[in-house]
Amino acid sequence: MNKKVFILLILIIIVASALRLWQLGKVPSSPDWDEVALGYNAYSILQTGKDEYGKFLPIVLRSFDDYKPALYSYLTIPSILIFELNVFAVRLPSAIFGIISVVATYLLVKELFSMKSSFEIQSSKEISKEKNDWKLEILALLSAGLMAISPWHIQFSRVAFEANIGVALNVFGILFFLKAFKKPWFLFLSALMWGLSLYIYQGEKVFVPFLIAILVVSFRKEFLLIRKKYIYASLTIFAIVCLPLILFTLTNKDALSRAKTVSIFSNSSIIEANTEKIARDRANNDILGLVLDNRRVEFAKYVAGGYLSHLDFNWLFIKGDIARHHVPGMGLMYLIELPFLLVGIYILIFGNFTKAVKIFTILWFLIVPIPASVTNDVPHAVRAINFLPILQILTAIGILFAMQKILNIPAKGWSASGGKYLIFSMFLLFFIFNFLYYLNQYFVQQNYFHARYWQYGYENIINYVSAVQKNYKKIIVSNTATMDQSYMFFLFYLKYNPVQYLKEGGTASGKFEGKNQFANFEFRKFDYNQENEKSILLIGSSFDFQEEYKTIHRVNYPDGNLAIKVVER
Amino acid sequence: MKEYTFIVLILIVAFFLRFYQLGENPPSLTWDEAAWGYNAYSLGTDGKDEFGRFLPLDYIESFGDFKPPVYAYLDVIPVKILGLSEFAVRFPSALFGVLTVLIAYFLVKTLFHLRGVHPRFAKASRGESATSEVSKAENIALLSAFLLAVSPWHIMLSRAAFEANVATFFIVLGVFLFLSAVNSVKSRGAVSSPPQGWKPIDTPGLGFLLLISFSVISFILSIYTFNTARVVAPILILVLAFGFRKELLKQKKETLLAIVLGIVLLLPVANFLTSPQASLRFREVNIFSDIGVIENANQQIENDDNAWWSKIIHNRRLIYGVSYLRHYLDNLNPDFLFIKGDGNPKFSTQTVGQMYLWELPFFIIGILYLIKRKEGYWWIVPTWLLIGIIPAGLARETPHALRIENSLPTFQIFTAYGIFFVTQRISNFKFQILNLKLWKLFAICYLLFAISNFLYFFHDYLAHYPRMYSGEWQYGYKDSIEYVQSVQDNYSKIYATSDLGRPYIYYLFYTKTDPRLFRKNNVVKRDVFGFVNIERFGKYDFLNKKKKADNKNDKALFVQTPLNVPAKSKILKKFYLLNNSESLVAYE
Repeated sequence: MNKKVFILLILIIIVASALRLWQLGKVPSSPDWDEVALGYNAYSILQTGKDEYGKFLPIVLRSFDDYKPALYSYLTIPSILIFELNVFAVRLPSAIFGIISVVATYLLVKELFSMKSSFEIQSSKEISKEKNDWKLEILALLSAGLMAISPWHIQFSRVAFEANIGVALNVFGILFFLKAFKKPWFLFLSALMWGLSLYIYQGEKVFVPFLIAILVVSFRKEFLLIRKKYIYASLTIFAIVCLPLILFTLTNKDALSRAKTVSIFSNSSIIEANTEKIARDRANNDILGLVLDNRRVEFAKYVAGGYLSHLDFNWLFIKGDIARHHVPGMGLMYLIELPFLLVGIYILIFGNFTKAVKIFTILWFLIVPIPASVTNDVPHAVRAINFLPILQILTAIGILFAMQKILNIPAKGWSASGGKYLIFSMFLLFFIFNFLYYLNQYFVQQNYFHARYWQYGYENIINYVSAVQKNYKKIIVSNTATMDQSYMFFLFYLKYNPVQYLKEGGTASGKFEGKNQFANFEFRKFDYNQENEKSILLIGSSFDFQEEYKTIHRVNYPDGNLAIKVVER
Repeated sequence: MKEYTFIVLILIVAFFLRFYQLGENPPSLTWDEAAWGYNAYSLGTDGKDEFGRFLPLDYIESFGDFKPPVYAYLDVIPVKILGLSEFAVRFPSALFGVLTVLIAYFLVKTLFHLRGVHPRFAKASRGESATSEVSKAENIALLSAFLLAVSPWHIMLSRAAFEANVATFFIVLGVFLFLSAVNSVKSRGAVSSPPQGWKPIDTPGLGFLLLISFSVISFILSIYTFNTARVVAPILILVLAFGFRKELLKQKKETLLAIVLGIVLLLPVANFLTSPQASLRFREVNIFSDIGVIENANQQIENDDNAWWSKIIHNRRLIYGVSYLRHYLDNLNPDFLFIKGDGNPKFSTQTVGQMYLWELPFFIIGILYLIKRKEGYWWIVPTWLLIGIIPAGLARETPHALRIENSLPTFQIFTAYGIFFVTQRISNFKFQILNLKLWKLFAICYLLFAISNFLYFFHDYLAHYPRMYSGEWQYGYKDSIEYVQSVQDNYSKIYATSDLGRPYIYYLFYTKTDPRLFRKNNVVKRDVFGFVNIERFGKYDFLNKKKKADNKNDKALFVQTPLNVPAKSKILKKFYLLNNSESLVAYE
């Protein structure tokens, strides 16, 4: 590796690490319920070998009845061992894999676009191999650099989002698959990556089969040259890794419940309008109508709509989706990237790349929204997170092309006097501006405007309550919105001994508004006027208390609105 | 004749899809439609509009909105001949809708001819013969026209009195004439040795002058037809002029004449355009009056401890800029374009997008390959599309099918180009299954999909649409007014509710009240914002939340919404929407 390239790569890694590790436990201001659940389950497994329900070494965490793949929790164990149970420790694996993804992106771009070493952006055939290699390096560095500062990737690298690990595993999976054309044993690693990815995030179960399929189809020539025994061996590895998961899915009737709740096929509101139409068609004896107004047509339209919603510029560049998935005032990518992304797509299709690489990259882009398209709440930045790093690679292609265009402007007239460098620096200025804006939005504005969406307030409340806990017979904590799954926050921040917790029965219910209890805490819905016992504390949000009552402690969101308060009865 | 067969067939299809049941579906008139109809009626009676302005050129006032007047004038003759009816009111829009399809055909033909060379003299390029070049332009033109003819977007907007639809016609015509003018200059330059039987026109400038003048007139007419055209037409003409500056400079005198003509034609409206009334509608709908943006920016600056750099990155102009971009890009939302369409049921059936889903792959392929292959005046298509959306981005309600209609038929041209490109390439696929070429099998399946996509739209439009959305079209006024008319002699006063919006125009429309009489005995109230409200005319008195019926002694007839009917009143008749819910009740 060239020395210059090496230095640049190190620089990119430093930037990526800084952006992912600095104030990791403090921004976003508080963990959401999934983060505390992953953290406490890891803590419980570390201490007892069992999860919160007492299940021994689970491969799937029942958690809030959403049956999370358990791998993330296991990855958290070492960091909890070192840093104890806290927000930083829970987020650390995601951040580390985020940094690894940046490096993986660099390696992947180099591997992918050197396929048959025909990387060339301009059609002239005179370009020397050296120049091509140099361009390939720039492209790989640009892609990795964009990944390092990607708002989308940073958002999910700084939170315990399992899907983010999936990104790293996918990129490595593809990288090793491509490397296997030269050294076939890499295929084993590839199989291992994809096998593991099924244990990390639900969406991967749909995405990975598609990914493998398009890899095999796009590179069928190279793939068929690999000796059969390697292919069979890696299939075996994949099967062995998958086996426990398959067994679990077959034997546990609740395993698919998460898929059912998020899929549109269980969403009856979609076909409401249709029922009316079908009734009218029946009344009119309208056979054509009965065919056209079929329910399946309606579902097919929803799937198509869900898919297409991920190609909305507004979602990508300006709005984002729910508050936890983006920073205030920005989308998932930098606005300045928009033109380069479009140019990049165009150049990828018409530029001088190997056909198989073109086909694979386009297909890769196209299969990403498939898992999300059959779910409610689209577009969805987590379920479509496998757009990373493909969007960054496309943008990098666009930037590289634009740079070449500008630098190739013949030096005469206005461009002789440094005009083209003016354009160049203007773009750079816009980019830096956009980046600085993002930094401010992420590290300053996000905690102010989005605190409520991060279920802010528990840390302070629990610190307070743990001090006075002994003085009360019972402490009742609301578990209705916005205090959903409050029991897990208490377990997490109290670092409640898992052995003790399991002895008391562990988690009783993972349902929303399901009742749970441990020590002298009860987590359930309450009505102030109905709780007549002496010496009890009530903890809830403004939705739980109609009046001020005897409030002894309160926590506000940064914008001054009440988050949680403690009331003495 | 044979060369015209296809376009005639397409026009027949377009005509059928726009005129079939035009008076009955959409199920009733919106107040804007009723206002166009009554203004046309009024202009046809004594040359004055509803409020008595003689032959207004700058605007027609309607519910406090100041509308460009052309639609009313176009509607004078239909209303004269057919009477004040739904069909007559919608006739100009539907007719111009069909004509747009025709002009789109000629436009696309011009667009894809070899650069500036008349097809007869086209030299072979890229190994294609001149005739194949002509037939290519012909095919893409036919496809574009056909796609426009069956477009849900264009059908929906052609089937109601939307002046935007007429403005679109003028813009398409303007572009077509402009390109023809430019071509007339180019073809002269290109022909160094005229082939046999061809004589150059003796007065070279005249043809150009005529074409460019009519182009300018057409663009100006669009400005007199719909608000958004006031933004789109000037930008489009400037961009065209810039793109063809060489040709225009070859004809300096004629171009100058056309510019003068344009300025003269704009004079009648110039005064109005600079007045506060002209921007009234804009002020009502624009995104820059959102105070929340400024509060938010101030908070963000405060969060940064009022640092100087924070004031730069949280500048409100910047935030408004991003907000504009958001509204602009809303109009390119794939869900809007291909799945659900405009959220307003007046512009879309809510069941298909503004375009058919089957068009999507071709639309994208069309964009990519048109840019790649740069055929004909390719650059006009994307530029026009992007310009057509500019005004809509300024408004809060986005996406908005009506306000971006001026970008039609560019969407169809892209799709047509994509289809043409794919059909040329696809026969290269050699895979076979059971002796049938795979691509043929695929093509047949896709064709079936496309046809059922169309049937899905049009069946829904005929069978379900009027029943589901009759309320959106203010259904109920007509029935109730016909009833009122049949019994009004028994009552001294008739009170009608304003809850369904602007009842007076419906009473004028359906009672065919003589405008001279109306102007004499109406009571008009204007509020501080310039909104105009008709309190009563003749026997009819219009109630709203503030204003209740006064003289209780007389025998009076009331028409109210069901929720506002007093308990002990004597109910005479109820009027229903097409989905069987009550819309109005008449009682004493």
